[in-house]
Amino acid sequence: MAVPHAWRAARVTPLGELNSPPRITAALLRLAVQVVLVASLWRGLYAHTGTTAGLGRDQAVTYAVLAVLASRLRELDQHTGRDTVQQHVHFGTIVYWYLRPLPPHRYYTLRALGEQLYGLTWALAGYAVCLAAGVVEPPKSAAVAGVFALSLLLGQWVMHYVMLLTDQLCFWTLRNDVALMILVFAQNLLSGVYAPLWFFPDWFVTLSSFLPFQATLSVPLSLYVGRISLSDAGFQLAVQAGWVVALSLLTRYLWRRAGRRVISQGG
Amino acid sequence: MIGNIEVRGLTRTFHTTVRRPGFAGALRSLVNPERVAKHAVSDITFDVAAGELLALLGPNGAGKSTTIKMLTGILTPTSGEARVAGVVPYRERERNARNIGAVFGQRTQLWWDLPVRESFAILRDIYDVPEAEHAARLREFDELLGLSSFSDTRVRHLSLGQRVRCDLAAALLHDPPVVFLDEPTIGMDVVVKEQVREFLRHQVAERGRTVLLTTHDMTEVERLAERVVLVNHGRLVLDGTLDEIRRTFGSTWQVRATLADPHTPVGPLPGIALIRRDGPQVVFGPDGPAAPTVHQALKQVIERYEVTGVAVDEADLEDVMRTAYAQAEAV
Repeated sequence: MAVPHAWRAARVTPLGELNSPPRITAALLRLAVQVVLVASLWRGLYAHTGTTAGLGRDQAVTYAVLAVLASRLRELDQHTGRDTVQQHVHFGTIVYWYLRPLPPHRYYTLRALGEQLYGLTWALAGYAVCLAAGVVEPPKSAAVAGVFALSLLLGQWVMHYVMLLTDQLCFWTLRNDVALMILVFAQNLLSGVYAPLWFFPDWFVTLSSFLPFQATLSVPLSLYVGRISLSDAGFQLAVQAGWVVALSLLTRYLWRRAGRRVISQGG
Repeated sequence: MIGNIEVRGLTRTFHTTVRRPGFAGALRSLVNPERVAKHAVSDITFDVAAGELLALLGPNGAGKSTTIKMLTGILTPTSGEARVAGVVPYRERERNARNIGAVFGQRTQLWWDLPVRESFAILRDIYDVPEAEHAARLREFDELLGLSSFSDTRVRHLSLGQRVRCDLAAALLHDPPVVFLDEPTIGMDVVVKEQVREFLRHQVAERGRTVLLTTHDMTEVERLAERVVLVNHGRLVLDGTLDEIRRTFGSTWQVRATLADPHTPVGPLPGIALIRRDGPQVVFGPDGPAAPTVHQALKQVIERYEVTGVAVDEADLEDVMRTAYAQAEAV
């Protein structure tokens, strides 16, 4: 049954943020501090060398700063807003997701889309400032920019499904704190947020290629800084799309199973 | 407005793991879990007519909430059938969602970080309610529930009473013919409770909504419901009007009499037991299922004995339900 205006539910999380000015200030400060520290760190590391692991200083700084900006896309504070799946399962309010004409999986997707669009405005604003300040390099060509944008889109799509998987876990385990801690660490390590993957040993890179994390940030950022050439982009985009399809099927299956787990607390 | 509810042989069985006591028991449960079936709801049958307010009563763990969850489509029954406004709720969850509104106790469906009016606006979009209709309904709810004084407040800053009033409004914003209320006034002060009751009366009498209410507050039942369904251990114990329930379980009266002559021998009367005697003070109570009504008992006592004073204590609905629960427990 169509719900023509349900897409407007995408505004839930951004609206919550805009109604909490201290959170906006905190987000601004955090982003600024992270960018400055990361840029300083990588400049420091390159102080006595021109090229490391095939990457120049400006490329490395660009990669690291873009990683910080891109990780901002899904960093909104749902916990304070009592709007995590874990909290809904814990407090029993998850039942309302199943009492509306908008199915839970669609509501979750819309909410996530709103979050990512809101996060994107922060990331774009940060990117514009960093670009103007010369902290990051512009893309080498319009083609690189286009492929990067497409790859980033696919990467965020993969990221959405990975986050969804940890949320769906709550229907079985009630809590997902530990899973989230592991996810955040693995995501930051294996996607190249802490350091570009080519600084790691080969076995580690091979291992991480079997997981979806590389597809989230490492691939788009590598395309941007030229570590992956345009000629290899097709294969990388196909791998990302493959992850999107696989995770989409898995999470769809889990949504169906989760619906049977919504049992009540009490009588 | 078609808003009737039909329930036929509704049954829901949960399979749970038995947790054995102690460390060794916990270890055994982990390695070799023992699964048992728990019948939360067993073969329940009842109807609610369109525009009727029915109280679904029972002690904690009786199966009330499980019944409501099946009728809202959240749970699928193990067997039996239910129809809400002509829709099988667990088969057509989305279609059913348009026909029903629900409030589950203190669990709010509002968005914690958003002002109340924003929560309402999001629900308007989700249910696709036209803007003019939404505004008109909000005005009506504001008149009855006094929402405007806190509609710009974020939900996290509302008091319990304010929040439940907002939740009631949220549940009815899309004009559902059927409303499920699972202990909606729990923990609220008397003033807000009365406001909510008045709101519910208005929704049933003026808007013709069907309401299925669970509550432990017997004042609420007395003021709102004409009919009651009593469940215990997942089974339907009684389906009747409040008068019928009083007649069945309400004979917990006492007649206290002061005898003119303290030496008068006193004994039981037909259907009436002598509960205690202290000099001229005697107390009579009902004796068995054939006990007379309190008025008949009073007449018998006065006719049989010469008394200088008499007083009657009649059980209120809370006492009646206590008796009903106790008898249901004994079955």
